[in-house]
Amino acid sequence: MGNQVVHPDSGAGGAPDDELQSIRSILIGPAERQLQTLQARMDDRFSHAREVGAVLPQALLNRAGDPELARALRTPVEHAITAAVRENPQPLADAIFPIIGPAIRRAVAASLAAMLESFNRTLEHSVSWRAVRWRVEALRTGRPFGEVVLLHTLLYRVEQVFLIHRQSGLLLQHARAGPARVQDAQMVSAMLTAIRDFVQDSFRVPEQDSLDSLQIGELSVWVEQGPSAILAIVTRGTAPQELRQVMQGAIEAIHLQYGEALDAFQGDAQPFESARPLLEACLQAEYRGTPSPPTRRVWLLAGVILLGLGVWLAFSVREQIRWGRYVDALRSEPGLVVISSGRSGGRYVVAGLRDPLARDPGAILQQTPLSPDDVVGRWDPYQALIPSFVLARAGRALAPPPETTLTFDDGVLRAAGSATASWISEARRTAPLIAGVSAFDDAGLVASTLSAVQRRIEAATLLFARGAPLLVEGQAERVNALAADLRELDALGAAIGRTFRVELRGHTDADGAAMANLPLSRARAERAVEAIGVRPGRHLDIRIGGVGSDEPFALGETEADKQRNRRVSVHVSETSSSQPGAGR
Amino acid sequence: MIQKKICMLGGFAVGKTSLVSRFVSSIFSEKYLTTVGVKIDKKSLVVGGQEVTLLLWDVYGQDEFQTVQQSYLRGSSGYLLVVDGTRRATLDTAAKLHKSAGEVVGDVPFVIVLNKADLEAEWQVDERGLWKLADQGARIVRTSAKTGAGVEETFLELTRAMLDGRGQDRS
Repeated sequence: MGNQVVHPDSGAGGAPDDELQSIRSILIGPAERQLQTLQARMDDRFSHAREVGAVLPQALLNRAGDPELARALRTPVEHAITAAVRENPQPLADAIFPIIGPAIRRAVAASLAAMLESFNRTLEHSVSWRAVRWRVEALRTGRPFGEVVLLHTLLYRVEQVFLIHRQSGLLLQHARAGPARVQDAQMVSAMLTAIRDFVQDSFRVPEQDSLDSLQIGELSVWVEQGPSAILAIVTRGTAPQELRQVMQGAIEAIHLQYGEALDAFQGDAQPFESARPLLEACLQAEYRGTPSPPTRRVWLLAGVILLGLGVWLAFSVREQIRWGRYVDALRSEPGLVVISSGRSGGRYVVAGLRDPLARDPGAILQQTPLSPDDVVGRWDPYQALIPSFVLARAGRALAPPPETTLTFDDGVLRAAGSATASWISEARRTAPLIAGVSAFDDAGLVASTLSAVQRRIEAATLLFARGAPLLVEGQAERVNALAADLRELDALGAAIGRTFRVELRGHTDADGAAMANLPLSRARAERAVEAIGVRPGRHLDIRIGGVGSDEPFALGETEADKQRNRRVSVHVSETSSSQPGAGR
Repeated sequence: MIQKKICMLGGFAVGKTSLVSRFVSSIFSEKYLTTVGVKIDKKSLVVGGQEVTLLLWDVYGQDEFQTVQQSYLRGSSGYLLVVDGTRRATLDTAAKLHKSAGEVVGDVPFVIVLNKADLEAEWQVDERGLWKLADQGARIVRTSAKTGAGVEETFLELTRAMLDGRGQDRS
């Protein structure tokens, strides 16, 4: 046997054995020593443990993602932790102290934040009219005020999340938002499954097309189904579609992490207790935000608006002041009566009465900064009783001649100076009709006019030729003037209701016999009457007389003096009676 | 805590809803029975030191098992087969329902409930047919929804059977 081993003490021969021994030593000695070493290692438990310990960490790292390894380690680790805590909890407490502290703080902070948010929301809505209505609603429905506030400021809120075993409809896990009112979650879960089955079977839709949403008033139920479990959320308000993605993520994560537990589910929901955070991630809510603090842009805009308002206000006030001044000016203007003033149709409007003699309101407006386009004046005519206006009105109505002066005082219009008889007559008729004139006094005017006419008449002298009742040539103008004055005197008499006696008295010079001069003088008077052509009237009594040379005009003896005495003089006197008469 | 879904099966007017009413306090109206075809109630029990919550699916009384009602059976851990002792035909209906339920949920525990025990003098149920049905692995419990007799026992019996079945499944 080629591979038979022969030991040195087997009783075989000397030298050859030594040689054989040497050869054997050379050939199998190393392997034999290795075998012996291995045997020793196998027999030495401590050595074996050291070697396993050396490779164990790497082996665990290599299989870190293996669920089998996790399952295998779960029990011993649990036992080890339990035993360690039971024996001496301090090391474990020390070890988890760095994480348990922050975790507790986070939980407390989250609770406080939620409480503060609710408190803030309640405070924000506690002093308004809306808050009063909500308080009434809270009293009526028996809900806490904070809950009513939340419901009214809610855009949407996921109130409940159900994780339901798809086949049995049994509840695996349930999460709810703080204030949400919850019926028995297990029964709701089962009933939801029943309704889902009912809809699916009734309408014979494929299983993948099962009921995925329900709408009941402001509540809606969204269903997201996985192969073994269903995630259902109950939402108040209108949730965004992005929430679907959150649900899908949650149901996928649940199937990933709890796939085996779902398959093995026999009614014990304990394994799904740790799935609660996945459900709570779906408890999202969004509220109507309170107005955020104004940004710089908003402040700027508000400033511009305020500035604009200020400028507008300033201009408006200035315009108002100008308008007020204009109206005051109108009110103080004689002949204008302001009845109303204000704005209408974006324009200033002033209405009132205006005497035609008053200043034009438009002219007054032009003296102000106001634009004529912005002002509407509505003026009705009237006659002011202001003395100056009455006088002016009388001046316009009577149009007195330059020699006539009108004055007005205490309702009496007075005329002075001189005027024609026709003007006096017209004035007497018109003046009482002038507004503001209660009486017309022309006594002065009549007297002076009459006096002037009388003076002119009596100053007139018609000269005659020697020894004959013939007018000296060149006296036509004088004759006409005398005729006009006599007619004026007649008109005056008619105007004032008086009658005047006019005597044309003929004269001669002292030459010749008195007996002859007397008839000559009378003939001269008759000739003068013929020349002037004036006939007696109702108010003019014309008399003819001759006095010969008894009333000489000039006492000299010259021919010029004698010529001045050969004349006809005119004498005017007022008769007591207004009845006209004519005498020869 | 363990949850179990159980179904109440039986012909029309055999007393399923009355039995459930004897056993639980409902929060859902009975109108669900005629609208959705099922009403769900809940009852918590302690059986063998184990707290169990039963979700009772009271399926609307039927003489023919229809598609909609079959879907309500899915995921059920057991069911009660209710027979009206005074009407022979309800036993035949129960037998058909049992067969049909088996096709949906498989071999799960069930209890035959012989209801209206208070009218025992008027019973018409064929004993042989009853035992033939019971031979398929069910216990027969006599109940009276009117007096409440046997009602609690029925649910306890089914719960025990379901829990035992769970133990066997795990072994």
